[in-house]
Amino acid sequence: MKYMLQWGMVLLAGAAGMVNPAYSQEKGTVYYMVPTLLDEFQTGSVSALEMFLEQVGYEMTTLNADNKTDLQQSQMNDVITLAPKAIILAAVDFNALAPSVEAARAAGIPVIEFDRQISSTMSDFTSVAGTVEIGYVAAEQVERLLTEKNGAVKGKVLQVLGDPGDPYTLDIQMGFEEKMAAFPDVIIISQPAMMWEASNAGTIVSDQLLANPDIDIVFSHAAHLSVAAVASLESAGKQPGDVYVMSSNGAPVALQMIRDGWMQVEVEQPLYAQAAAVAMFMDKIVAKQPIEPGEYDVLGLKSVVTNEEWGPTIKIPGAAITADNVGDAAFWGNLQPPTEAVTPVP
Amino acid sequence: MTPQSRRVLEVVLDNLVWFMLLAVLAIFSATIPNYFQPGIFANIIEQSTVLGVMSIGLALVIIAGHMDLSVESVAALSAMAASMVFASSGIGMGVELTPGWLVVPASLALSLAVGAAVGLLNGYLVVKIKMNAFIVTLSSFIWVRGLVVALSGGRSAQNLADELRWLAIQRFLGLPLTAYIAIACFVGFSFMMAKTRYGRHLLMIGGNEAAAFRAGIKVDKVLMIAFLLSGMVAALAGWLLAIRTSGATANLGTGMLFNAFAAVVIGGISLKGGVGALPGVYAGVLLLSAINTAINLMGLPAHFTQVIHGLLVLAAVLLDTLKQSIRKKLA
Repeated sequence: MKYMLQWGMVLLAGAAGMVNPAYSQEKGTVYYMVPTLLDEFQTGSVSALEMFLEQVGYEMTTLNADNKTDLQQSQMNDVITLAPKAIILAAVDFNALAPSVEAARAAGIPVIEFDRQISSTMSDFTSVAGTVEIGYVAAEQVERLLTEKNGAVKGKVLQVLGDPGDPYTLDIQMGFEEKMAAFPDVIIISQPAMMWEASNAGTIVSDQLLANPDIDIVFSHAAHLSVAAVASLESAGKQPGDVYVMSSNGAPVALQMIRDGWMQVEVEQPLYAQAAAVAMFMDKIVAKQPIEPGEYDVLGLKSVVTNEEWGPTIKIPGAAITADNVGDAAFWGNLQPPTEAVTPVP
Repeated sequence: MTPQSRRVLEVVLDNLVWFMLLAVLAIFSATIPNYFQPGIFANIIEQSTVLGVMSIGLALVIIAGHMDLSVESVAALSAMAASMVFASSGIGMGVELTPGWLVVPASLALSLAVGAAVGLLNGYLVVKIKMNAFIVTLSSFIWVRGLVVALSGGRSAQNLADELRWLAIQRFLGLPLTAYIAIACFVGFSFMMAKTRYGRHLLMIGGNEAAAFRAGIKVDKVLMIAFLLSGMVAALAGWLLAIRTSGATANLGTGMLFNAFAAVVIGGISLKGGVGALPGVYAGVLLLSAINTAINLMGLPAHFTQVIHGLLVLAAVLLDTLKQSIRKKLA
């Protein structure tokens, strides 16, 4: 019995060692506050951040807020008591989490904003593609597609938003409509897919195709909404290219739809680069060293660090994915993580 | 009141939700541009497919005097299970069968098995262990959705086999075949409730469980079957949802539970049990879809749609309450 217990203890210790390899703990634990796991971008961000942070010596623990602001606030309070090396926050609500950010920083814990920028308070670092900027890129692509289809920037665009309570979708809408305001001949019909639920998007497309049969482009704010949109187009007897389809975030399913000919453009959020940038600067952030403004190479993407009112911010340009470049391994939707390890910025 | 006018009033009250539906369709047709066209009415029926089927299962359990909050999550799990096996993109394994049409019964069987498993577990905990149905099914609502996220890793499975998509694309008399499946379900289950011993027993148990037991009805067995049917019908709804959207995402079907409840209540099913008929539920589902379609066509700012949706549902339920008070006065 004693012999079995000894072996059991040895096995248990071995298993624990495998779960928490020593090399990933050498610099301490970082918490990632992910807003939801019901979204391929967010799920991808967990694995990307985990991979890059491990490469620079940090262990990462993730807490999922399930898209609930109050839950994320509670999680922030809990994590502050654990005194991690840093907190990476992708806020459910950009403003509501500002007091939590302040509380963490007051406790000496650096806070990094990931993907969702908080401009109402100071953070130690922000890594974003820029949700408003995604709207800008989408507007440029709509301009191109309408010119290609109608000979001029005129026509009808059905914009399928995500849940109207989510600032992420409202920012994309703001950027998109700000740029499109320059084209008065373009009619934009905006409808929200409640709770980001795909079948709601499908219903919107089905209804609008009947009310506005001359829709030129369906622009959804997430790739999974476009899947349902395409299913509705197919049910309505449309062929690929009859109605142009585009969306944002760069999820794998969108790239597949581009290959199938149903989707013309996907505006990518550079997930890998956004995550890699966090890892590259993590040592400086933890040591509370200044981050120099300037241009940095993040996984081959020229990215610019600026000192903003809310702290140092790296903006990594989003890209438009089309049939011409869909195979590019740099797009996270192709699920080919970079093989080269990131190195900390000296 | 003369006996004749009383009879007319009772017919109106019995079918009030259908009259409400007609009134709403007439008002929307007259006031909303592009609403009045066959395609829109076909859309309303098509959009009612998934919610309608889901509402049947929920209604059965509520009529029996219990509750099943797990239907939305069960639908999501069955959709994800079928999509993971038979979809070819994302996390789909792209399993192909020969001949190709076998994918239809195989995916349906898989989905129904998932629903049956959850339904039986709910039923066992409620009927045999005597746990509260609200708590048991609330727990299932949470863990089953969690299982969807865990199985999928938050990713989606897309591109279902053409043989499955055919059910959503192929139309007969302007409606996709999936809509006929939903209509057939309503006809079948309405018949079961109105004309079979099991249906009558379910109503009696919902009205007074103790009296039904004393009358010799096998209450436990009837309730177990009700939970089993609720799970399987929810799974069927999930299968239809997957076919409609050509796959499944981790958040597929989110929010449908509350719409199913609204449809059931609007349809005249008492939350206390023992009262209600399924045709009214179908009218309730159609009413909600008609309202949704109107909101989609009105081009309202995104922020206001939920407010309007909620208020319209409230108006429908208020009318139903008015109906109950008139009925009490008549009695």
